[in-house]
Amino acid sequence: MTRARRALAPLLLGIALAALSLPEVAGFVIRASGLPAGTPVPAGRLAWLARQHLALALAGFALAGGAGLTLGILATRAAGASLRASLDTLAAAAQAAPPVVIIALALPVIGFGAPPVLLALAAYGLMPVMRGTVGALATVPDDVRRAATAMGLTPAQMLLRVELPLAAGPILEALRVVLVLAVATAAVGALAGAQTLGTPIVVGLQTQNTLALVQGAAAAAALAFLADAGWLAAVAGLDRALRR
Amino acid sequence: MKAHLLARPAAWLPPALAALAVAALAGLPFLALAPNRLVPGSPVGCGLLGAAAGALALLASGLLAGPARPWRSWAAVAAALAAWIALVVGAGQGAAGLLAGQPPAARAALGAGAWLAGLALAVLLAEAVRAVLPRRGGLVAALLLVGVTILAGRAGLLDALSLAVEYRAREQALATAFLQHLGLAGGALGLALAVSGPLALLHLRDGPAARFADGLLNGIQVVPALALFAGLVAGLSGLLALVPALRSLGLAAIGPTPAVIGTAAYLGLPLVRGLAAGLAAADPDVLAAARAMGLTPRQMLLRVRLPLGAPVLIGALRVAAVQSIGLATLGGLVGAGGLGAVVFEGMAQFAQDLILLGALPVIALALAVDAGLALLAGPGTDDAIRIQGETA
Repeated sequence: MTRARRALAPLLLGIALAALSLPEVAGFVIRASGLPAGTPVPAGRLAWLARQHLALALAGFALAGGAGLTLGILATRAAGASLRASLDTLAAAAQAAPPVVIIALALPVIGFGAPPVLLALAAYGLMPVMRGTVGALATVPDDVRRAATAMGLTPAQMLLRVELPLAAGPILEALRVVLVLAVATAAVGALAGAQTLGTPIVVGLQTQNTLALVQGAAAAAALAFLADAGWLAAVAGLDRALRR
Repeated sequence: MKAHLLARPAAWLPPALAALAVAALAGLPFLALAPNRLVPGSPVGCGLLGAAAGALALLASGLLAGPARPWRSWAAVAAALAAWIALVVGAGQGAAGLLAGQPPAARAALGAGAWLAGLALAVLLAEAVRAVLPRRGGLVAALLLVGVTILAGRAGLLDALSLAVEYRAREQALATAFLQHLGLAGGALGLALAVSGPLALLHLRDGPAARFADGLLNGIQVVPALALFAGLVAGLSGLLALVPALRSLGLAAIGPTPAVIGTAAYLGLPLVRGLAAGLAAADPDVLAAARAMGLTPRQMLLRVRLPLGAPVLIGALRVAAVQSIGLATLGGLVGAGGLGAVVFEGMAQFAQDLILLGALPVIALALAVDAGLALLAGPGTDDAIRIQGETA
């Protein structure tokens, strides 16, 4: 119940920001604060950009989250603790190059559009998930593992029925961080020519079109909050379904 | 137990790195010759020196793979360093050879093979140095790599490389951008610290105000950075239109103001969390003893909580400083200059060398600040941060 309530604030914020991104609302706010408005982005175009943005972000999330989770589980099967120290070092080092820098570096090598964004997400988002997964699985007490082995569980059953449920909290939290990161990185991807909600922001900054700037910023933030709310609600729903 | 694990690197790592270097040198373009700075070049393989770099890498990994003896580790360090020197000099001399007889606009850029091999050799050297000096191995290796490369550059061995040509053309602008970047990142860190300090103190008594501030800082983390920077530009121009007197304070809608505020906004959460954890790090018994000795709350903070929590506090500062340097890159979009402006100019021109000249200093600066603050915090802090991250 409290988990579902956590989704309420981002949901309301997301709806309010989405309303602000509509051309009429944003135009009214900007004129009311005495700024020159510029050409609006039509609502239909904004919705199309939002769909593109979400598709790109979800693809990147699936890539970074899926790979990070899989590698994290594999790492705990094989090498265990010795790998964890190197993982932490690697994860810290990977944070030194922010997504926008990775996108910029990838641009001349793999070209315009979605690929550099996906690469940036894979590079920047994979390590935190992997590190979070390894760290969360390490918190499962050895006694529990031994008890599961004594009950005759196979390694696969132990992973699915014992370890993952016990470690689910931190893992889901790490995935949530990467989802939010994916939405933010897809916005920056507009710099590499990807058509996302970052596009009106970049164009607005270049042409000093405050209206497009505000619409893009509000819509991108709305999408991030709605994705966050969706994730929290889904986790709460899953939690309730499993408890029943 | 842990020190032992760190001192003995994973046995498969050095051979894998050496194999990666050799494969990159043999299979990927080492250099690329292009008619000018904007078009992609035609690939060129590595020469004799590149091959020597690969062979030296294999030698170093072979020395590391054997039984641990001091002379073997030292020899591995020497071999890995020699491999790096061969790679760097080979790239510089190869570029000079390619450009001989070409028109002046022609550029010889480093190819994917040189970058990948360089990365593999750098990690290999770090592994070799770590076998000799378990604690500060990575730092010493980085200093060796950078020092040797700077020496080669000073000696004029790298002048023909496209990156060096681009650097010479923009030396002054890059130095300015670097200083601007430091100013943006440092200013944002200072602003974030000024706000986070009181909030962390508020955290010590867990009230509704602390929870509200927490929610706000959590919410900001969800907003895409690009959207927040853009929103700040729009919000500041609205504010300045309503209250023009603020302009006389040096506030502007475009420039460092939105960049510093936007960057600082993202630093709030890690700083408040880290500072609060650091202030709460002191053992309750110690606090009780201090109280029994008659220390005032102010004395408790300055003499007990701050010194005892120092490793965690510096750890939080470290995370925030690295993030600050990365986020300040976006300042280039809102007219604040800095290295981000160099990167975005390079992206607009599709000029790879210009992008690299902006991006490499950002990464180097972040790594240097991270290593410097880690040195300041002393050994064992990584564990403290990890534990804090798990409980957070």
